[in-house]
Amino acid sequence: MPDFTWETQSPLRKALVVGRHGAGTGAAGVTLREVRDIALVQVMARRGQAAATAKAAKKLFGVEPPTSPKAVTAKTATLIWSGADQFLAFAPHSGDEFYAKLADTFAGIASLSDQSDGRCALHISGPRARDAMAKFCALDLHDTVFPVGAAASTAIDHTNASVWRSADEAGEAVYNLLVFTSFSDSLWHMIADAALEYGLDAGHVSAVQ
Amino acid sequence: MRIACPFCGERDSSEFSYLGDASPKRPNFAVDSPNSPAEIEDAVFDYVYLRANVAGDMREYWYHGGGCRSWLIAERNTVTHEFKSVTAAPGAGAALAGQAGE
Ligand SMILES: [Zn+2]
Repeated sequence: MPDFTWETQSPLRKALVVGRHGAGTGAAGVTLREVRDIALVQVMARRGQAAATAKAAKKLFGVEPPTSPKAVTAKTATLIWSGADQFLAFAPHSGDEFYAKLADTFAGIASLSDQSDGRCALHISGPRARDAMAKFCALDLHDTVFPVGAAASTAIDHTNASVWRSADEAGEAVYNLLVFTSFSDSLWHMIADAALEYGLDAGHVSAVQ
Repeated sequence: MRIACPFCGERDSSEFSYLGDASPKRPNFAVDSPNSPAEIEDAVFDYVYLRANVAGDMREYWYHGGGCRSWLIAERNTVTHEFKSVTAAPGAGAALAGQAGE
């Protein structure tokens, strides 16, 4: 039997050109990052098991999963609402450990789907991030409507995306996007195009600290 | 046109797919027509093919595929496009007790 080794490749290895693009030469108005090395699991409560699923999640993560479009940050993961009785658990990649822990926790009460390589995670930040996003995202991202912790499942450029807002160390807004891996190349180009007029700083970061 | 999803809030109609009339009920043979094959055939034909072309208020199925992926039932005026209510269809969200396939 031959041994197979699977190497994870970024779906953006062609589209992502690290560096400063677009208008101006100073600080970029928009910072766009691919977040690599992620673990992502879709958790869907089975019929009549939403309460049991929430309880099990609380035991594992220390917080209850959101029941409305929000993202809650726990110590080991971020739980993002993705629909009625379902959420995404997002964490730094750790081999098969994360999924195994969830499979154990939710056995019999929720259905899981490993999306670690199925979705591509992006960060959009910078002083003009919202202006760039206004061109392709129909959500109202005003501070009063979409504060830190707000989340949404929406359509961006004809494909589904999960969006939630967090903050960087300086407290500035970071818009997190999860998009289908196979659409991420096209979405990256579209987002970059929207950001060029404000100056774009493109790059990638690892979710693993 | 904007549709207020009970889970996601107000969204552009491009995020939704339209299925049509939410009123037809799938015939239940054991209850509706236990004895007559002709009645069964008529009932199934009506259920599958016959739709009223309503000018006014109508209950209809919408699917929020570009958002939370829930089936919804909307009451919409087909003349003015006014939405009077949008609620989760039975079975949307595994925890809801309603029977799917209304
Ligand atoms: Zn929705």
